[in-house]
Amino acid sequence: MEARPLVVVGAGVSGTAAAIEAAKAGVPVTLIDENPVPTSMAGLNVPLFFGQRFDNALSDRALMMERVAVANEALGEAEEAGVDIQLGTCVWGAFRNSENSRLLDGPQIGLANHERSWMMKYDRLIVATGSRDLSIGFAGCDLSGAIGANGAYSLMTRYQNLSSQRMVVLGNGNLGLNTVKVALDNGIDVTAIVDVSTSARGDDALVKTLQAQGVKLYTSHTVKEAVGSNGDIESVVLVEVDDNNGSVAGTEKIIPVDTVCLAIGLVPNIEILSLLDCDLIFKSELGGYVPIHDDWMRTSVNGVFVAGDAAGFHDAMVLYPEIARNQGRIAGIVAAESLGAIKSAEAQSRISNIKARTVTTSQTEVHTIWRKWLHALANASDQDIIACQCEKVTRSEIIGLEPPHYLEWASEQMSRRNLQTQLKDNPVNPNQVKRLTRAGTGTCQGRNCREQVALLLAEEANADIADVPLSTYRPPLRPLPLNVIWPDDESEDVRNEWPKWFSPNNKVLG
Amino acid sequence: MPADRAEIVVIGGGVSGLSSAYFLAKAGKDVVVVEKGMVGGEASGRNGGMISERTDEPDLIPLAVESVRLWATLEDELGYPIEFIHQGRIQVAVSEEEMGDLFTERDEARRHGISVEQLDPSEISELIPGISGRTLGGLFFANGGHANPQRTVQAFAWAFQDLGGRLYQNTAVTGINVEDDKVTLVETTGGNIVADMVVAAAGPQTALLAEMVGVHVPVAPARVEILATAPLDPLFDIALVGNGLYGRQASRGNLLFGGGAHEWIDVGLTSEPAKPNTPLIRNISRRLAELLPAVTDVPVIRSWAGIVEQAPDYMPIIDIPDTPSNYIVVTASAHGFGIAPATGKVVSDLILHGKSNIDISGLTLSRFSDIAEDWRQQRGWLPVFGNH
Repeated sequence: MEARPLVVVGAGVSGTAAAIEAAKAGVPVTLIDENPVPTSMAGLNVPLFFGQRFDNALSDRALMMERVAVANEALGEAEEAGVDIQLGTCVWGAFRNSENSRLLDGPQIGLANHERSWMMKYDRLIVATGSRDLSIGFAGCDLSGAIGANGAYSLMTRYQNLSSQRMVVLGNGNLGLNTVKVALDNGIDVTAIVDVSTSARGDDALVKTLQAQGVKLYTSHTVKEAVGSNGDIESVVLVEVDDNNGSVAGTEKIIPVDTVCLAIGLVPNIEILSLLDCDLIFKSELGGYVPIHDDWMRTSVNGVFVAGDAAGFHDAMVLYPEIARNQGRIAGIVAAESLGAIKSAEAQSRISNIKARTVTTSQTEVHTIWRKWLHALANASDQDIIACQCEKVTRSEIIGLEPPHYLEWASEQMSRRNLQTQLKDNPVNPNQVKRLTRAGTGTCQGRNCREQVALLLAEEANADIADVPLSTYRPPLRPLPLNVIWPDDESEDVRNEWPKWFSPNNKVLG
Repeated sequence: MPADRAEIVVIGGGVSGLSSAYFLAKAGKDVVVVEKGMVGGEASGRNGGMISERTDEPDLIPLAVESVRLWATLEDELGYPIEFIHQGRIQVAVSEEEMGDLFTERDEARRHGISVEQLDPSEISELIPGISGRTLGGLFFANGGHANPQRTVQAFAWAFQDLGGRLYQNTAVTGINVEDDKVTLVETTGGNIVADMVVAAAGPQTALLAEMVGVHVPVAPARVEILATAPLDPLFDIALVGNGLYGRQASRGNLLFGGGAHEWIDVGLTSEPAKPNTPLIRNISRRLAELLPAVTDVPVIRSWAGIVEQAPDYMPIIDIPDTPSNYIVVTASAHGFGIAPATGKVVSDLILHGKSNIDISGLTLSRFSDIAEDWRQQRGWLPVFGNH
């Protein structure tokens, strides 16, 4: 098995900065990034909500590899610093020894490209996996062209392959505003930016710039539905929202668009940290569950560090990429220090320097506005909105705790059971709801619905969103075909010693 | 707080405990089930969902045969979906050695009067389209199938409640009081419960509970792993065993398969044990792809692990010790799901009538009366130390 002193996962702003710092200190660094992703995965909205808004060029792996490489200027610097850069490589698993996993041969991650998988041991791991889109369903959100801000941003900036002509953006925080700006720069006609809030949530100057470019700002508005034919969005219907998140009849506006971009919020990608059992904490102002870390970006697990959006995202980070970059630099320096490549005092002073020059921004809790969107979108529609797109589970089916359609089950007893009756027995638990309704059990493994389900459960249970436990992450973190995840180098030993159920055997194969 | 009371306290909201509680409540008994987490949170909700007449374990056959009979009408009886598919179980051999094992099992089944059919590779292909060309032969057991473990446990729990049973989840047992060779009281994190009878069906924790009442139940916990693929169009509805794996295609279309090495661990009484997966899921993937080469490009979307307990002979224990005489030990050595309906019947029979018509003579606790204190160590069934 390959073994590396330091592996950095994610070649975004923070991960690349971390890799450069550590490499400059003389640490052999491997920097891994899953982009370009296989088209088959992108089609499943994994790892981001791509909304099918890409064309065939995405399957030209060589071309995409080139585009991804040049999209991040800092990667050139990393290469010069001697960083081993592995693009098109995802991390699907992270394993470490623990009380109930003693036989494992040390801390290791599972990697895969479009063809094969392999394991890699690490001494230090920096998780800079970024964030993914908050998805809140609306009528028509399962049509092609419903897309997330990060998905759209990635297609525009990394892949130069967002096939959209006309777009409406939902969310007028800096995330939404910046999405509009980048889309305009890419020649996309952004007609409107829509939010349920009564005024723009993001930077005033940016709002004015965008308005000057002809983008209409709709405050106190929501989406009634996206309308399409042949599975593709062709228009979106907006409607005004009243003080109680209800819709104001007669205020509908039909806007012809091919894309509706959800830019309401982002959620830190904590899957790897969760698999490694890093301590997590719910912080609404950072987008939900985030790893507990100290000033030096150290998580609760020895040798595991975090940086960038994965450590927690707040809206100002869109305007100030230096926040993520500086976290990455600190993580890189600290990892190098922990490996003995930098003296402690020097690390200390360099980190103080970085911190002194980092902009201070305010963080606000996000779930109030997320909840407002949830209600406004539901109230505006006369349909039962789909929450889990993979398994086609609607909001009312979650609240009714209904068995999935394919069971075609109905009984008098079952009709008396629902989420409310279940809550009398047990505190709110998304894992239980998932088992019974199948919401979150599809190919995207809840990437697109877990926040929405958590919001719904909190509402139903009249509970604080912070009290809704995290729905469990399990490997593989990416949907990998059997013939990719399988070990192509499986030894004869493993083959011959494969135990029949509980025949004497006491070792982990691999 | 005044002590709660019940005729029967069942410790453990897994499938064995809830099945027992259901049949007792159905017979009019006043039953409380105490569960440290949520129902089916551990192995009962995490297993492969396999159901058969257990021709591989002759001592289990009476219980397993009765269970299959009960499974057939269980969904209607409970009133909730359990996804029971009664299409049989197929066991295939991919080596000459495995063929030999099949013949032995076939003969054993016939000796017990159990329906078994020997299949050649072409017959197997008809039942399991796309199965490996390496298959040399197989056995088909018509009486058997599979069900959804999570739905089944929940169905038992709900049906138990519908009969007036009281289910206390997130309630861990912290002590058991014995006076004059009888259990009098169960102490829990939610208060004390006075009980006439206690059923300890707590999976790996059953041994720790038994210690509280001075009984030695030799079981060792172990962690085992399963994976799930993305849904496929319907391929087969038979429970499938072969190439070192066991599994099924779920009603939704996902392939769910497990197998491979286990790891011995320890558990605590009140906490939920961590259940990490390991890179073993890659090897399971490879074996599954070998078994079903037609679907090697289906994505694996999830994996999980469960904690099962094993007695030294890999067999369940259902028994009442000499003392305390109002305490039933129920532990299943990883066979629990398939035999759960009859397990519940037996426990209910033992409590109501002092005996059961189902032969469980091979499942006594006394068969381990001579076992050494350090049996786990002797067998190498302790967690290993020293690795990292």
